[in-house]
Amino acid sequence: MNPSPQLKSLVDQMPDPDGRGMYNTDIDKEKTEKAIAEIHKGGREYVLGIIDMLVPPGQGNDVKPHYALHCLANHVLKIKDEQARREFAETLAAQLGGDRPKPVQAYLCQELQWAGHKEAAPGLGKLLLDEELVEPAAMALAAIGDGAAEQFRAALSKAQGKCRLNVIQGLGAVGDKQSAGALREALSDPDREVRLAAGWGLARMGYPGLSSLMKAADVEPGWERIQATKHCFVLAERLAASNQVFAARQIYASLRDTRSDPSERYIRDAAEKALAGRG
Amino acid sequence: MNQRKEDMSRRRFLQSSAAGVAALSIVPRNVLGQGQTPPSEELGGALIGCGGQGGGTFRGLGPNVRQLAWCDVRFADKADNKTFYTDFRRVLERKDIQLVAIGTPPGWHALISIAAMEAGKDVLCEKPMTRFIAEGRAVAEAEKRFGRIFQVGTYGRFGANRQTHKLMASGLLKECKGVVFRRNGFKVKEWSGLVNAKPQPVPKSLDWNMYCGPAPLRPYFPHRVGGTHRGYWDYEGGGLADMAQHHLDGFNYEYAKDFTSPVEIEPFAPPAHPEAVALWGWVELKYADGLTLVLDSGEWGTPYDRKKERGVSPSDLSEEDRQKLKTMPEPERLVSFPDAVRTRKRAGGHAEAAHRTATLFHLANIAIRTGRKLRYDPVKEVILDDEEANRLVYQPMRAPWRL
Repeated sequence: MNPSPQLKSLVDQMPDPDGRGMYNTDIDKEKTEKAIAEIHKGGREYVLGIIDMLVPPGQGNDVKPHYALHCLANHVLKIKDEQARREFAETLAAQLGGDRPKPVQAYLCQELQWAGHKEAAPGLGKLLLDEELVEPAAMALAAIGDGAAEQFRAALSKAQGKCRLNVIQGLGAVGDKQSAGALREALSDPDREVRLAAGWGLARMGYPGLSSLMKAADVEPGWERIQATKHCFVLAERLAASNQVFAARQIYASLRDTRSDPSERYIRDAAEKALAGRG
Repeated sequence: MNQRKEDMSRRRFLQSSAAGVAALSIVPRNVLGQGQTPPSEELGGALIGCGGQGGGTFRGLGPNVRQLAWCDVRFADKADNKTFYTDFRRVLERKDIQLVAIGTPPGWHALISIAAMEAGKDVLCEKPMTRFIAEGRAVAEAEKRFGRIFQVGTYGRFGANRQTHKLMASGLLKECKGVVFRRNGFKVKEWSGLVNAKPQPVPKSLDWNMYCGPAPLRPYFPHRVGGTHRGYWDYEGGGLADMAQHHLDGFNYEYAKDFTSPVEIEPFAPPAHPEAVALWGWVELKYADGLTLVLDSGEWGTPYDRKKERGVSPSDLSEEDRQKLKTMPEPERLVSFPDAVRTRKRAGGHAEAAHRTATLFHLANIAIRTGRKLRYDPVKEVILDDEEANRLVYQPMRAPWRL
């Protein structure tokens, strides 16, 4: 689609970078906001027109449409127009997974992280198996929350490598208890980072399977042991907060009793302090 | 306080605290309490982030600290994983390191601080403490959970007005009419980002994936690294984030705000750029008790003119309350980092205090970025009635990094 001359004229009213390439000179707030308000009136057509002006970094000059799109995202939030916000997000989400250059799609993910809600989740979900786009998509889904778990779950069985890590971490980020079984299995993943992401997620959701996390922490000294031990502490805190005090005490007592190396004295001390606090 | 004065103040503070520790007689460990470090015992230290401020930050760990490791993502061509590292996780696995100084860009400050404390280390971290609000809460939780010592590398509170602190902490001042200004010195234009940079090849000595860490993996260009990283929301928050931990540390202590935050934040700024930090005019932050803090950049737009500056003093109290104030104990002396490590007492600039200071400029930046007035719950630490603004309080991280 060729952006209309009217749209181009409005986008052209965005500031020019100064001699250093920054927005540090002659920034006219009123002029910019007025132009954005006019762009907003153009609805979906104008949003698509701006997206058509976006190019991958280094492949042209899209400084003004890049800025305009973000200002527009903010504008629909500032005016608290839910219909406009939804239309904006749906328009962006509909561009995902298609032919647009991947850096442009990554930018759209970023703007959906800014202004998208549940309506954006299916579009973002399409990118969870794309190694180049899984990260911005997963971050956007984690920020949106609502509707994200279904997308992560749908991708889980097919996701490999980097995508699998992002999906596992995403499930933990949104606290999807329905995926607790899958996360528990992931505690045995051959990839250390997947194991740790799974432990983190389970701890955050207060997963009652103490032995799984305790076992995950009982590994050779090193980064994994440090992190998995932290997960045990976090789980204990979550359990205590939900009145599962006995289970929490079991974790602390186990940590106190099993961390005998002098280098882990701080773990014993922390566990003893926690036990005393809940005594 | 301008940068030169702050540096001098920091140097004087470090010198006096080091001298104080050195002046102590050598005390055997069995005389001290459990966990306390005899002043004569040498501790192992590591510096993570070896750029401009790194050396000074390491010296802040105190005397009797032997540097055993240097870690920087720019050491890709010289890392031996014995003395020089690119991956901080390898450093934290070492049992011979007890103290960690962190001088990375701020996007890494919280993650490495937390991980270091989880590994049993005490931490001195360069300012700003964090890149977003939830990071600060996570650092404070880790400090408490593992009984570690944490201090951020700014010392304004150590020279702040203790009598004002005593008044504000007393609870006698029911309605505070104070209006505190911090004008200029935020280096807004100096630490802005480029909006039109073209991608360039990544230098061989730089682990760009690790440099980006929890932030999006963007195309590389030099301005994103080495001091000018300050101009990008991915890694910091411009000059406001970079300087305000210095400018506001003393304020936070002086006005007894180490355990709370403002409830209203209003910006005056042009629409913000999505990636590059740029201009802002002023931000007004109000506390529940009536205290107002105004940050005025002096670098864009008309200056703030809603309220006039006003201090607080015992004359704001009734005669009866002034007498009560006189009978109250004086504030305890703040503990330096080296003394905190040795005695296991909380450091003066502990994680909660530093987090609440950082929250001030993070809230200011959120208001600038969203372009709207915000209301904040200082207990739950959430922005009220603005889900999208609240996404900047707790920001997702790029896997495998997470809070």
